[in-house]
Amino acid sequence: MSPKEPMDTPFHNPGWAGNTGEFDLTEDQVRGDDFVGSRPLAGAHPSSSASYPYVLVDKHPESPLFEGPYRERFDKILTRYPDTRAALLPVLNLAQEVRGHVSPETMDRVGELLDLEPAYVRGVVTFYTMYNKRPVGRFLIQVCTNISCNLCGADEVMDAFLRYSNTEPGETSEDGDFTVIEAECLAGCGFPTCVQINSRYYENVKAGDIPSLCERLRADGK
Amino acid sequence: MAYPYVSDREVRVISTQFGDPEARTLAGAKQRGRYQGLKTALDMSPDAVVDIVKASGLRGRGGAGFPTGLKWSFMPKDYDKPHYLCCNADESEPGTFKDREIIRWDPHQLVEGCLIGAYAIRARHAYIYCRGEFFEATQVLARAVEEAYADGLIGDDVMGSGQKIDLTVHVGSGAYICGEETGLMNSLEGRRGEPRVKPPFPAAVGVFGMPTTVNNVETLCAVPHIVVNGSEWYRQWGSEKSPGTKLFCVSGHVRKPGNYELPLGFPLMDLIDDLCGGITNGNALKAVIPGGSSVPLLTAEECRSCALDYEGVSSCGSMLGCASVIVMDETTDIVKQVRRMAAFYAHESCGQCTPCREGSIWVTRTLERIEAGRGTEDDLDTLMELTAQMVGTTICVLSDSVAAPVQSSVLKFRDEYLALIRRGERVGTA
Ligand SMILES: Cc1cc2nc3c(=O)[nH]c(=O)nc-3n(C[C@H](O)[C@H](O)[C@H](O)COP(=O)(O)O)c2cc1C
Ligand code: SF4
Repeated sequence: MSPKEPMDTPFHNPGWAGNTGEFDLTEDQVRGDDFVGSRPLAGAHPSSSASYPYVLVDKHPESPLFEGPYRERFDKILTRYPDTRAALLPVLNLAQEVRGHVSPETMDRVGELLDLEPAYVRGVVTFYTMYNKRPVGRFLIQVCTNISCNLCGADEVMDAFLRYSNTEPGETSEDGDFTVIEAECLAGCGFPTCVQINSRYYENVKAGDIPSLCERLRADGK
Repeated sequence: MAYPYVSDREVRVISTQFGDPEARTLAGAKQRGRYQGLKTALDMSPDAVVDIVKASGLRGRGGAGFPTGLKWSFMPKDYDKPHYLCCNADESEPGTFKDREIIRWDPHQLVEGCLIGAYAIRARHAYIYCRGEFFEATQVLARAVEEAYADGLIGDDVMGSGQKIDLTVHVGSGAYICGEETGLMNSLEGRRGEPRVKPPFPAAVGVFGMPTTVNNVETLCAVPHIVVNGSEWYRQWGSEKSPGTKLFCVSGHVRKPGNYELPLGFPLMDLIDDLCGGITNGNALKAVIPGGSSVPLLTAEECRSCALDYEGVSSCGSMLGCASVIVMDETTDIVKQVRRMAAFYAHESCGQCTPCREGSIWVTRTLERIEAGRGTEDDLDTLMELTAQMVGTTICVLSDSVAAPVQSSVLKFRDEYLALIRRGERVGTA
């Protein structure tokens, strides 16, 4: 190790190009279009980041997950399958309905309820795109940009949503209202562009409709 | 509300209620003849039901086109172990939008189909695996199931026959691969939806380790009609090897996109030009994907003589798949659309098999590079080589599905790739 080991350089990582002083890529180059894949919190799908640093903690992790009618639904789900493992997906859906997203604490609680290992639950949660591993906006807007919608202008619809909400894909707008992401085919190909907002499908959406649609969402929540 | 578009050249067997919400209630459904088939089936032996479906020649509508009766006959003929029927409503093949329409307009037809299917394969429990995004359709279906339970159509004593059949609506959580039948079974068991190695086949070891049959929504919906009207009735449409009617989902650049129920063997160009009102803005046709994004593209020339049944489309160099006709006109940027499809598969690969996991990503990156104008002519060879190694080397056929659009587009639309590579010119805007 050289005597003038620079403790103040930002890239301190012995054995890596960074500490030889050769590492001079700018942030732009790192994020250029050669870079495939997206970073959590920098435009990724909300389902893509499951590791701790990116996950905001539940506000009340100690509060019971299912109470009252939710508890009843939980009990009902269990009766439908020959073993408890099979209830995992519907129970996680229910948990997401209660909490809005599936945090590691929620995964642990669900694991306890169904007698499954926390790591197993996490393995399952990370497989499926519909579990939000971090909080999303009041309206989660999923724009299908797959082939049939794409042929009919889905990219413009996506851009219009991003422009209106002033966000990057996967980011939540400052007022907490909108999270816009690209979705894969939603099975509404004959009615392009197909957009799913929370649990509802909006069909035949055109780029010009976005401002009024978003205003309406803000005003009446649907 | 009138259903978006209809044509009098259609033959409506399972789509009669599209656009008519009356059939969503049990009373409305019974008025329209639902549950007649179940009554008829319960008066027969399970094997007789299998035989009539076999004789009708009905083929699976989920993509593979495997004869349904034959599939059912693989199930053990006793009640020693629990058997399961899984209805595949995970519809997520790009271009396909028929199962959701069936469920939201005519849920009782599906319930009836599932009950008959379960009876035929001696299952005491049937699951309908709906994709998680279908909140609305799932609610319609769940209500129908509850009504049918209350009416004694499902439960411990189905229609007073002494048969016990339960039916559960199960909701997935977003993964294309859960549409693959063994992936579906893993997902139903509460696992990651990774496809299983076959053999053992589902009819021997399926969901929860028990004999299982997986059928598509449309397949099961055709069953009640066959049971009521007989196999010869069903064979009046289509050809010897592809009998019956099929829902065609037409999307893309046509004036009247939508679901059309047609006898198999219908000419592709009639569907586009007549029923769908032709191409938008009167543009010229460039290409058609006849069976969802997993099958090879057809050029406009190849479409001229194409008849829409399993054999007809194969002989034109593609596959009928789930009959999702995606129409692309002259403004289409083929490279962009193929890149979009490849990106879809890269996103949906479950990651168990190296050729699929790595291949789909490399294909996407290469296509992205070509699209960005930084491709070389060698890239086209790389694409062909890469995709050749992705065919037949993996657990499920998702990997093969990447190869189909990529290889066919490189072969048939090489000019468009070369225009981008050599001159940086994009052909088309959409
Ligand atoms: C990657 C992949 C995705 C599939 N997705 C679906 C689907 O969404 N819906 C469906 O019915 N079948 C799908 N299938 C086909 C099923 O594996 C299976 O063949 C079908 O459900 C059998 O039903 P059938 O005999 O009624 O066609 C898919 C297959 C693969 C390989
Ligand atoms: S082919 Fe792809 S999707 Fe299918 S099992 Fe292998 S990795 Fe998974």
